[in-house]
Formats: sequence, structure tokens, C-alpha cells
Amino acid sequence: MLATFRLSMTWLHTWFGLVLGFVLMACFLFGSLSVFDREIDRWTIPETRYEPQPMPSFDKMLLPIFRDIQPDEVSYAQAQDQVQGTLPPREQLKPADFSAYTTHRDPVLSVYTTFDIPNKPKDAAVDHVHAYGYKTVDPRSGALISDDKLKIGSAFFYPLHYSLHLEWKEIGYWIVGLAALGMLIALVTGVIIHRKIFREFFTFRPKKQAQRSTLDLHNLTGVVALPFHFFFAFTGLVIFASIYLPVTETMFRAQHEAHEKQEEAETGLPLHPAGTAAPLASVDAMVQEAQRRWATRGMPGEVGFLQVTHVGDANSYVSVYRAGTDRVTLTGEGIHFRASNGEVILEDPPPSAVGGITDWLTGLHLQHFRHWLLRWFYVLGGLGGMRLYRHRIHLLRGEAQATTCEGG
Amino acid sequence: MAVAPLLIVSRVAGALLGGYAFVWGFTALLMAAALALGAEYHDAERLAFLLAFLVFLGAVLWAFAGSKLWRVWLVLAGGGAVMTGLAWALTRSLLQGVSE
Repeated sequence: MLATFRLSMTWLHTWFGLVLGFVLMACFLFGSLSVFDREIDRWTIPETRYEPQPMPSFDKMLLPIFRDIQPDEVSYAQAQDQVQGTLPPREQLKPADFSAYTTHRDPVLSVYTTFDIPNKPKDAAVDHVHAYGYKTVDPRSGALISDDKLKIGSAFFYPLHYSLHLEWKEIGYWIVGLAALGMLIALVTGVIIHRKIFREFFTFRPKKQAQRSTLDLHNLTGVVALPFHFFFAFTGLVIFASIYLPVTETMFRAQHEAHEKQEEAETGLPLHPAGTAAPLASVDAMVQEAQRRWATRGMPGEVGFLQVTHVGDANSYVSVYRAGTDRVTLTGEGIHFRASNGEVILEDPPPSAVGGITDWLTGLHLQHFRHWLLRWFYVLGGLGGMRLYRHRIHLLRGEAQATTCEGG
Repeated sequence: MAVAPLLIVSRVAGALLGGYAFVWGFTALLMAAALALGAEYHDAERLAFLLAFLVFLGAVLWAFAGSKLWRVWLVLAGGGAVMTGLAWALTRSLLQGVSE
């Protein structure tokens, strides 16, 4: 674009860095806080300050809680907006799925119920509309934690770092996605324009004017954490790729539906309820069986995620997923049981090569595994990213008065 | 750095919007080709998603690297449209293969 390749790359580095830097600073700060989101939650909810707990008994504790959950008022209102006619009263909606989720850092258990909406969706492209109900459980006693206290870490800081809490048309995700692309561009162009990167890395001139030492710090933080920042921006994009490139909902709709049917036939996990009622066998026994099977594969562990699909129906099944505390990759080694009699329908096969790569990259970003030292390094790297941009922005303010900062 | 503002706007738009069209076309064509070769659906999708943003990065860098402005638009937006068209044709023929 400009007279030389390097000048063009400098322009790109400067302006993409400046314009998107403000968004990236928010992503880095709130992403860093999200590394300890569960621990920050404890700060705002003092009655939950006790040790993390394993998944409690489903039959004795969770099932009665699930039976009591009603659709959340906000979710109910959103569902009403999306369908034709008037919804049945809130308490009459039938539960479709029960889910319970915990991690090795959670003293509390999050449970939620998905409710079927019988009304026809307004949008013909939508198959089903659902409403949701949520509760937070103290797994030691089965007592419910009141919902009027914000989980400021996991429900505020964490979504802020990827969606900015701008839910309208998912605009927040798009702004963050553009910023992440800008980050990748700034990193690559940064390496191109800082040709003498190795010498600059060891340069620090604290006695020189503020702008010089600021640039030195920018170079130091930029280079030392470059792989870290590239990784997080890149994997962030991959994690939300289906929002940025919604090919499955558009061009590949028919292929995807055909694949779902084929998968249903291969796995034996029903896509839809049969319409006839059936009882629910002991889920605790299924959990025990799942843990026994994991142990025979050399990976004993706790349950991280438990789900009953098509609740109360003859096609209902129970999925038990392992908490991935001991491995980077984000797989649950799910084992699926027929809900009515507890027989195993399917053990998830090992992921394919491509699936394995994606699971590993996603797992390293989300860090569900147990490694406290690395957890702190994530915070340092994230805050380092903020410094990088603070200096970049600080630098540019000075640049308006000074000559152009070539290589900055 | 004396470049007319309109030219800069056009290049940024060409890099980002044209780049997006190019990446869309790339993703769709790669997925369609993988499906045609018998890949599992989510494998095809995930492979495309892993490569898509690296292609986007390359496209933006190339758009600023020194190519003529009309060529940036032609290659990125035009290339994206061509690849999307090819992918669409390929998915249509795949569907006919299923229904026959």
C-alpha cells in the first residue's frame, strides 16, 4: 500500500493495534480474571466458601431438585418472543433435559433444565425453541444457593472477555473476533517491522525519555509472550468459529441433517423422544458403571457433566462425562446409558485426528485441567498483553507530537 | 504516509470484507471437497475452522503488502465468490447422490 513493504506493515501494526487495542485490553484483563473465575465467585457469595465437592448422588439429591426447577422468567419471555401463539403457563412446561455441571474448582454444582416449547417457532429455519431453568446447589446438603447474588467471576468477567456482554445479534462476539484477528495481524507485522528483534529484546533504557523506555517495555512484553498471545487469539477464534462462519446453519444445512440421522443410526442415541412414557432407572448405578469403565481404561476420575436427555420418555438416555482434571485435551470420555434400564448404549470413541487437535487447542485455552502454576502463568501472560497495549496506546499519543515512530 | 483517505478505506474494506468473503469461500469449498471425499461431517467442519483464520490472517497481510487495490478486491471478493459458487455446486451434486 505504502512506498515499501515495511512501511505498509508498520501502518497495519500501528492502526490495527491502536483501533482494536482497546477491545483487546478488555479481553486480556477479563480473560486473565476468568482464569480464577470460580475463586472470584466465592468472594461475592460468602456462604459458598468451602472445599470443591464431587458430583453428589443423582437419585437422592439431584432428581428432586430437577423436578422442582421451573423455567427462568427471562428465558420464558425470550421463548415467547420466538414462537407463534401464547405459551402454556410457566409451571406447565415439560422438562426435556436435565444437566448438572461441576469442575475440580467448584464448591457448588450448577444444574439446569431444558424445557420443551410446544408452540411453532416464528422462524421456519428453527426446529425447536426451548426455555431454561437454573439452580445452584450446595452438594454437601442439597440446599439451594439463592440466585440473587451474582457469580461475578463465571457469570460476568468470563462472558465479558469473549462477548463484551453485547448480546444483540451476537455483536459482542464479532467485535472480539475482529480484535482477535487484529491481534494476529499485529503480532505478525510486529515481527516483520522489528527486524532486529533479538537486540531490541535486550534493550531497556529507563533513563531515556519516557517514550523510549515505553517502547522498550512494549518490545519486551510483546516478544516474550508472543506465542502465548498468538495462541489465545487464534484458539479464541477457533472456539467460536461456528459463530463467525455459520456454514452449518446455512450452506450445509442439508448435509448436517443427513449426518445427524446417520449418526443416530450408528450410535443408537435417539435424536427425538418416542412419545411414550418410561421410568428412570438408578442414575447413581450408571455413574458407578461409567467410573468403573474409565478405571479399566487407566483413567479413573470424577464426573464433570451429567445429562438426562428426553426426560421421562422411552427414548431417554443418560450421558456421563468425565471431569478432564488430568489432561489438557477437552474430551469427556462420555458413556451413554438407556435411561429406563441402565444398559450401556455407547462409549464415545476416541476422537479423530482433526477432532483431537481441536480438543487439545480448546482444552489448553479453557484450562479445565488441574495445574495451578500454569494457571498463574496464564494470568501473567494476560496482564502482559494488557501492558503491551497500554504501551502501544501510550506510544501513539506521543507519536502525534513526535516524528513517526518507525519500528514501534 | 500521504495516501488518499478513500484509498485507505477501500483497502481496509477490501482486506476485511473481501478477506471474509474469501475465507467463507475457502471454508465452504474445503468442507464440500472433504465431504465429497467421504470425510465425517464434523471432521470436515473442524478442519476448515482450524485453517480458516490462518487463511484470513494471510489474506489481510497480502492485501496490505503492496498489491494493486483492484487486484485485492478481485482476488479476495471475487475469489471468495467463485469458491462459494463451486462449493454450492458441489453440495448440490452431493445431495443428488444421496437422494438417488
